[in-house]
Amino acid sequence: MQKQRSLLALIIVLVIAAITVIYTIPVPLGLDLRGGSQLTIQVKTTEDIQEITERELEAVQKVIEGRVNGLGVSEPVIQTVGTDKILVQLPGVNDPEQAERVLGGTAQLEFKAQKPDTDTQLLALRASQIELKDKQKELRKSNDQEAIEKNRAGLKNNNEALAELFESTDPPLTGKYLQDAQGESTQGTNWDVALRFDAKGGELFANLTKNLAGTGRTIGIFLDNELISSPGVPVEFAATGITGGRAVIQGSFTVEEANDLGVQLRGGALPVPVEIVERRTVGATLGKDSIKSSIYAAIGGLILVLIFMVAYYRLPGAIADVSLVVYSLFTWATFALLGVTLTLPGIAGFILSIGMAVDANVLIFERTREELRSGKSLYRSVESGFYRAFSSILDSNVTTWISCAALFWLGSGLVKGFALTLALGVGVSMFTAITCSRTLMFIAISNPAWRKTNLYCPNLQVVNKAEVAK
Amino acid sequence: MTLHINQKRSLWWGISAVIILSGIISMVISWQNPNIKAPLRPGLDFIGGTRLQLVRDCNQPGNCDQPIDINVVREVAKEQGFADSSIQLISEDNRENNGITIRTKDLTTEERTQLQTALIEKVGAFDPQKNQIDSVGPTLGKELFRSGVLALVVAFIGITLYLSVRFQLDYAVFALVALFHDIFVTVGIFSILGLVAGIEVDSLFIVALLTITGFSVNDTVVIYDRIRENIKTHPQTPIAEIVDDAVNQTLSRSINTTLTTLLSLLAIFLFGGETLRFFSLALIIGFIAGAYSSIFIASTLLSWWRERTEKDTIETIDTAIGSEDS
Repeated sequence: MQKQRSLLALIIVLVIAAITVIYTIPVPLGLDLRGGSQLTIQVKTTEDIQEITERELEAVQKVIEGRVNGLGVSEPVIQTVGTDKILVQLPGVNDPEQAERVLGGTAQLEFKAQKPDTDTQLLALRASQIELKDKQKELRKSNDQEAIEKNRAGLKNNNEALAELFESTDPPLTGKYLQDAQGESTQGTNWDVALRFDAKGGELFANLTKNLAGTGRTIGIFLDNELISSPGVPVEFAATGITGGRAVIQGSFTVEEANDLGVQLRGGALPVPVEIVERRTVGATLGKDSIKSSIYAAIGGLILVLIFMVAYYRLPGAIADVSLVVYSLFTWATFALLGVTLTLPGIAGFILSIGMAVDANVLIFERTREELRSGKSLYRSVESGFYRAFSSILDSNVTTWISCAALFWLGSGLVKGFALTLALGVGVSMFTAITCSRTLMFIAISNPAWRKTNLYCPNLQVVNKAEVAK
Repeated sequence: MTLHINQKRSLWWGISAVIILSGIISMVISWQNPNIKAPLRPGLDFIGGTRLQLVRDCNQPGNCDQPIDINVVREVAKEQGFADSSIQLISEDNRENNGITIRTKDLTTEERTQLQTALIEKVGAFDPQKNQIDSVGPTLGKELFRSGVLALVVAFIGITLYLSVRFQLDYAVFALVALFHDIFVTVGIFSILGLVAGIEVDSLFIVALLTITGFSVNDTVVIYDRIRENIKTHPQTPIAEIVDDAVNQTLSRSINTTLTTLLSLLAIFLFGGETLRFFSLALIIGFIAGAYSSIFIASTLLSWWRERTEKDTIETIDTAIGSEDS
């Protein structure tokens, strides 16, 4: 009895701990429940780069991260999947189109030279470009699709007109020569953007700047055919151009502006094209509805199972019910501790594991009843019920784990969530069945008032052992 | 209730054969069907495409006065060049036909935005909070399918190995047969559902199949466990009787476990929302098939096989008994 008491104390402590964990650490919700966009971006090979190695993938991931940060989404998740994919989760994004445009386009960065005698046009077009961009930002809030589309068309025309004012160098100075670009603080609140080219790029850049220095013409920096910056070149570089492969764009930038430009430039230096191969967007309200119905399903399922167990197995059924509730608390706390992101399939896995958690108890109680029928004492019956059911419980759980392992290693995002929650659930269920149910059963049968066999097996008819053998 | 499953082996096998055969016939028909071209109607996840689910914003005055007319939606889709897309109306916010689901080929962001804009013009403003947009590229679809099938195969191999170690090879083989039985029944019924009700299978279906795998073996193992135990305690009893006893001794457990699991699944099916509905349906079918196959297929096959092979080894058993007697 002493052993049972201390086990019971341990279980109570664990339950309190589990409730505390559940109360303090919320289980993070997947995008299908909280709403948002999930994009899978595939990195494509090119003639120059025929194989995506970890290095390329990492580089692209960095760029994507930069782009995602540029979107201003809170709590984004960016992770590599397999050998050539990047998964981006943007919770709460209401404008997936913008995200897709920013993330999915193959960035093409090029440094071009302004054509002679285009200064006034450039100034005018630059001004309207800024105006249109600001308007676009405003419109996005209003959800007026028609006006947004109209404005976007205007921006596109504007960008095309701007592109007309510049010409490519020969050979073109593209992003592949750019090694790094980042915001750099100067004195006071001003920021610059520092550029670094490789050897070939440095040579091309020196040529470009030599031609432009002192003429009042600017370098047009184009990202995806959109002019993102047009710095001038001071006259002192007229002799040799800006050599050494390093340059600084000075423009009294704010921190954000400098970083933005830096990120855009780095994104343009991306050596490989990317393509969005999967997009899934769930509206926030839709997600909330899903949570609600999933919780109904979980509670509904649990209650049905609880009722069934008491109705069929009487006192042991009630004990199984207590361990089922303990099981649910433990499993939920395990999710919280391990930071399992809860998705719809994950919840399904959890609900299913409730159904399966009963199995261990059913196996034990069926065995106990059998032993009772064959004329054994209550204590012996309960004991051998637990003892003899164990190998079945173990075997059946191991096979479930094998399936879960296969799903976890080979499955994709959502599928992994299901496998993990189901596997954890099965593990916890085994623990609660052989500790919690067992302890409570032995405590119950140590109480004389609860020792009536009718409570364990209604209409018990002890069968003679000899007859069983026949 | 006592079952004598070994007396009517051919009946049990026949029932399964009929269900599996009709599934296979349906798969062949599906394969011939130019709209499906696969044994099951493949969903977005496997062939790629875009699915838009849009619900109108009823907070805007007058926006939801009329139910959506599906012909208007079809017209819009046709104008945009997606005449072959499948369109369904859905009821949301307690309003009849207040939302639409459109399945098309894989759309680019621009094509999709255009389609949405055109729909807003004709149908009314949508609530972006209730949008659901899924887009899967065709190559990714193939990969999802391949990794899903690979996961199934790996799970099969793992389970067979485990069972051969814990039991014997013939047990493992027949558990695998029961497993394929359950998979075929589920796949077959979903193929029929795909033909008659247009139900598609997605990557969650593969998850369901894997879960069925785990559950099916689980159920079979419990009976096998009992058979093994009974053989040990009554080595001289004929195998058919041992198997019958084992099945009967574990019958209420089989029924109760299946029942409690089905109760949970029924809850998911009824309340779990659109995404999980067919997932739980697949599990319900698979688990019922699993309970059936472990009782009527795996066990009867085992006794049939042992009866056939043990004729050769009966002498060794005789001598074993003889030595016990002396």
